[in-house]
Amino acid sequence: MTTTTTKADATAEPAARETVLDARGVTMRFGGLTAVRDVNLTVNSGEIVGLIGPNGAGKTTFFNCLTGLYVPTEGEVRYKGQVLPPKSFKVTAAGIARTFQNIRLFNNMTVLENVLVGRHTRTKEGLWSALLRGPGFKRAEAASEKRAMELLEFIGLADKAQHLAKNLPYGEQRKLEIARALASDPGLILLDEPTAGMNPQETRAAEELIFAIRDMGIAVLVIEHDMRFIFNLCDRVAVLVQGQKLIEGDSQTVQSDERVIAAYLGEPIDETPKAAAPAEDAAPAAGDTTEDAAETEADADAPAEDEAPADDAPAEEGTPADDAPAEDASDADDDTPADAADAAKDAAPGKENDA
Amino acid sequence: MTTISENPQAPAAAAPAKTADRGLIGLLPERTARAVVLAGAALTVASCFLSWTWTPRFPGDLTVYGYPAGLQLQVLVTGVLTVLFALSSYGVKGLGWLTPAGADGAIKFGALATFGTAWFTVAAISVQLGGPVNLEPGGVVLAVATLVTLLAALDLPFKRPAVLPVDPEDTRWDQHKQSRRNRWTAVKAAFAAPHAVKKLPPLPSAVEILIIAVVLGLALSVFTYGIGTEYDELFLGFLITAGLGFAAIGASGLLKQATQLTSKHQNLSIAGAFIAAALFPFTQTDDQYATLGVYILIFATVALGLNIVVGLAGLLDLGYVAFLGVGAYAAALVSGAPTSPFGVHFPFWAAILVGAAASVVFGVLIGAPTLRLRGDYLAIVTLGFGEIFRITVMNTDGTSGPDITNGSNGIASIPNLNLFGFDFGQPHTIAGFTIGRFANYFFLMLLITAVVVLVFRRSGDSRIGRAWVAIREDETAALAMGINGFRVKLIAFALGAGLAGLAGTVQAHVTYTVTPEQYLFAGPIPPNSAFLLAAVVLGGMGTMSGPLVGAALLFLIPNKLQFMGEYQLFAFGVALVLIMRFRPEGIIADKRRQLEFHENDDTHEPAATPAKAGA
Amino acid sequence: MNELPQQLVNGLLLGSMYGLVAVGYTMVYGIVQLINFAHGEIFMTGGFGALTVWLILPGGTSMWVALPLMIIGAVIVATTIAVGAERFAYRPLRGGPRLAPLITAIGLSLALQYAVWVWYPEAKSARTFPQIPGGPIELGPVTIQTGDVFLVIAAPICMAFLAFFVMRTRTGRGMQATAQDPDTAKLMGVNTDRIIVIAFALGAIFAAVGAVAYGLKYGVVDYKMGFLLGLKAFTAAVLGGIGNIYGAMIGGLVLGVAETMATAYVDQIPGMEQLGGQSWANVWAFVLLIVVLLARPQGLLGERVADRA
Repeated sequence: MTTTTTKADATAEPAARETVLDARGVTMRFGGLTAVRDVNLTVNSGEIVGLIGPNGAGKTTFFNCLTGLYVPTEGEVRYKGQVLPPKSFKVTAAGIARTFQNIRLFNNMTVLENVLVGRHTRTKEGLWSALLRGPGFKRAEAASEKRAMELLEFIGLADKAQHLAKNLPYGEQRKLEIARALASDPGLILLDEPTAGMNPQETRAAEELIFAIRDMGIAVLVIEHDMRFIFNLCDRVAVLVQGQKLIEGDSQTVQSDERVIAAYLGEPIDETPKAAAPAEDAAPAAGDTTEDAAETEADADAPAEDEAPADDAPAEEGTPADDAPAEDASDADDDTPADAADAAKDAAPGKENDA
Repeated sequence: MTTISENPQAPAAAAPAKTADRGLIGLLPERTARAVVLAGAALTVASCFLSWTWTPRFPGDLTVYGYPAGLQLQVLVTGVLTVLFALSSYGVKGLGWLTPAGADGAIKFGALATFGTAWFTVAAISVQLGGPVNLEPGGVVLAVATLVTLLAALDLPFKRPAVLPVDPEDTRWDQHKQSRRNRWTAVKAAFAAPHAVKKLPPLPSAVEILIIAVVLGLALSVFTYGIGTEYDELFLGFLITAGLGFAAIGASGLLKQATQLTSKHQNLSIAGAFIAAALFPFTQTDDQYATLGVYILIFATVALGLNIVVGLAGLLDLGYVAFLGVGAYAAALVSGAPTSPFGVHFPFWAAILVGAAASVVFGVLIGAPTLRLRGDYLAIVTLGFGEIFRITVMNTDGTSGPDITNGSNGIASIPNLNLFGFDFGQPHTIAGFTIGRFANYFFLMLLITAVVVLVFRRSGDSRIGRAWVAIREDETAALAMGINGFRVKLIAFALGAGLAGLAGTVQAHVTYTVTPEQYLFAGPIPPNSAFLLAAVVLGGMGTMSGPLVGAALLFLIPNKLQFMGEYQLFAFGVALVLIMRFRPEGIIADKRRQLEFHENDDTHEPAATPAKAGA
Repeated sequence: MNELPQQLVNGLLLGSMYGLVAVGYTMVYGIVQLINFAHGEIFMTGGFGALTVWLILPGGTSMWVALPLMIIGAVIVATTIAVGAERFAYRPLRGGPRLAPLITAIGLSLALQYAVWVWYPEAKSARTFPQIPGGPIELGPVTIQTGDVFLVIAAPICMAFLAFFVMRTRTGRGMQATAQDPDTAKLMGVNTDRIIVIAFALGAIFAAVGAVAYGLKYGVVDYKMGFLLGLKAFTAAVLGGIGNIYGAMIGGLVLGVAETMATAYVDQIPGMEQLGGQSWANVWAFVLLIVVLLARPQGLLGERVADRA
């Protein structure tokens, strides 16, 4: 059933933008501790949404609420209009697939088998058909295998199909985890720090991979620490601090928000180098002029948007925010955090309304 | 013994350090060493035709010249193997195929096997007859020749693995540990195959099938020889010879080639293995060894069923024998046995259904509450269930409880089966061979084994089997892949229970009587929960042939080595601990794990369990 | 029905013995998430340790002198075996496959049982255990058998000691920290290896005291006594909420009372006349385990574990 839905999505994607994930007022308490407080988040089809926040901000808890590992104390999570069932395997069956922060492959299974396990929810063959091996069983197995090989082809691991998962290098294990998640034909994929521990080349490859997944019509929600990665990648970014959503908006908006900077970087002394880091890295020569930095940022975003032809919504959100980086960068360049804070404050209220 | 014998498969292929071209002991240069090995092995072979002792009082009569007997035969076999490997290492034409992974590892193991069996024999003669004076010159020649061969073999150079140097700043104990570890690594490397296994040249399938048939025939004869060993010394010698000889063949690379062939023609190999097993009763003149055979089959079949639960799904079932008991009791109660209070006589097919169904019901009753929880709970609940089953059966004797199972006396005089006019109780003559009662049941049990093998293979290589392995590997990740963990685990558990019940229905008829004491957690007679678990663990969890081999060994060792007597269960517990410590994957490593060692090997089919001659 | 108070006391006594052994299961489980199946056998070796001391002492030694020495002997034997098992059998497997330590535990359990069976003199059948002199004590409607007096005194002392140890000492707090989160505890400077050894040792000490109590209560020790008692002690630990040290004691008491009551009164339930009496006691204990797992898998006091899982 869901299989067909997904396929329909893939074709209908450019036309209509559907809300895939809708989390409303999600609150999660453990005893006296509130790990997540009243978080709203929506993910639309064809969209890549990032979720960032400092350590202990409740990202993973929120993730677990989305994947059925926890049942939110308050609020609800809907996937395509349906309230999510409270069991993680039912969530996957509904159409949300995930990867893990610490890679959790089935180590002693082959690469192909790992992906085939991902097909579990989309196949029905039970014990009896496995024992009797009727034509239906063989057809289903062949179809699963074909699909799995396609996915391995997609992530570039087809030639290693018979290797044991645990013998793959780190970066390929990450990719395999993504392929395994894709095997369940999800409408939304949740990636938990997909580039943790990767080198810059691998990170770039992961970026490409995620864009390609989005182009398959699958919505993506990414948790990440690597800010540059997420700002390059995401149409929208939400920032979670101390269990609450601080802000949500496009990359520039979030990047320039002074509270985000404060929350992320803590001490003002650390703030400037790190805040400027993405820009500086991208354009090493342009350390002095604010315009250069801003432009580089814009450039970095541009190709991403080009790759996704139907990016109306993010573009709309992006337009007003285009001013923001300029302001931000100019202030940041002055090396006066206080100014940066003021400037961002001015920009902030409007954005929050947008969100 | 087993630990050493499996070394060549250990991942000893660490990067070669500075090419130190010297052997493990370094007495002789390579060329001399190789020549000495060949000469020594040849001399060993020759000595097998001499008299080893002066009196036939030592079992097997080793006094005759020119006619090897008993242990001499075993030494002869390993000696010939060593000679062949040595010749192959000289590049003698027509022998290259013997050592597709290089000869030196195989030579070392061959020499070790010869040495082990020979010196065991010499020691046994000396001890039994009161001193080495009882050795004839042939025996002395043998002892010297095998020792020299072994020493020379250890002089053969090998690639020394890179080891961590001992850190002089460590404590002395740590230094000691490190140097010990290094030495061990070197020993492992010395016995490892020198290079990767050469791929088999493309052969016509007829030839390949012929090779498989020969391999299976060899396996059958080794097994038949082992089961037929008549005295302790011969069986111990057999264990040494077979264990180390197997290792030698493994180190030569032949084993891997054979595995490649069998996995290429998997179904055929399995069918062949069953034909070989079915031929077993025809190799026997009386029913004595067929009795052993049928008990081994029962044990092995139940162990294979347990392997679905433990090896594939990773659920530790410590009361598995109780499901066998449920099946056996159910079948006994409806068998028309005079002591059964029901007094009904179901046809066998119905009894099988009743037995299997009863076991499944109990499996679900036990599994449903516990499989939702952490795996450890299942272990303890099944342990409890095994015990409670026994107590309940003991109590339902009409005095302590309702009259159902006749208490500790059990249900006796279970009638023999009669299928399509074939009376299992009577001997039959087939093609000139007399097939006795136990042989009849052997065939029936073989059929049940085939069913279990089929179920194991087919369920293991399917959507549900992958789900089991996924759950075993990482339950959280498996759930996140959309696998309904509870459901899938319950299926595995109930299926395992049902297969045990199935075997139980036959067991009830084979043993005439079912009593509570047949179904213990641990006891001296094999089908009990601890032995079943050990068969699975020793043989190799998650493999098909592992539990079959493990069960055969665990049945034969206590059966053949009567002198172990009361130490048996103790030794057994220690063995479990040691296996877990040193070779947790068991004798036959899961193909999935084997893949680690030859990653770029294309001949391996996915998700295939190794198909080797098991029973 | 006026035997009810007596049955209740019997149940509590039985239960406190279960509780003593259950502490070992729960403590080890709480810290390393391992069901130490061999714990029942450690209990058993404790019993034989005590018996050995008694046999070594010159004949006619007063029980009042002998008993403390026997307890010490039991504790030494049980602790040595438990710590040895941890060091040489379990520790090398830590972080390995999940099934490995469980199978090791079974192996250990068999090896210990049959080591005693083979090598301990005349241990192939039950060996008599010395008894405290004196008659039963009458307290109103309740009689406490001589063999149970030790339990009445020892169990509360042990529990008080344990509570003190866990709550007040540095090691005890380290233990709690390790149980909560081993990695963090390690980072905070808790020597987790040491904590684990201590958990095994403490469990063994309690099991040893339990074994002496068992010997005095039943008058015999035998090589098999650890199997069923270990099973029931584990049931008690689950009942109380595995990982929770107080839960183990409470679970033991509940199990003891339930078992005694079932033995005494089940046959008065219409339709179950034949299912009462001592021979069904173990069955009822096991049924209770299943029921608890169904109804409240985290156990009576086991909220913490439920959160973690």
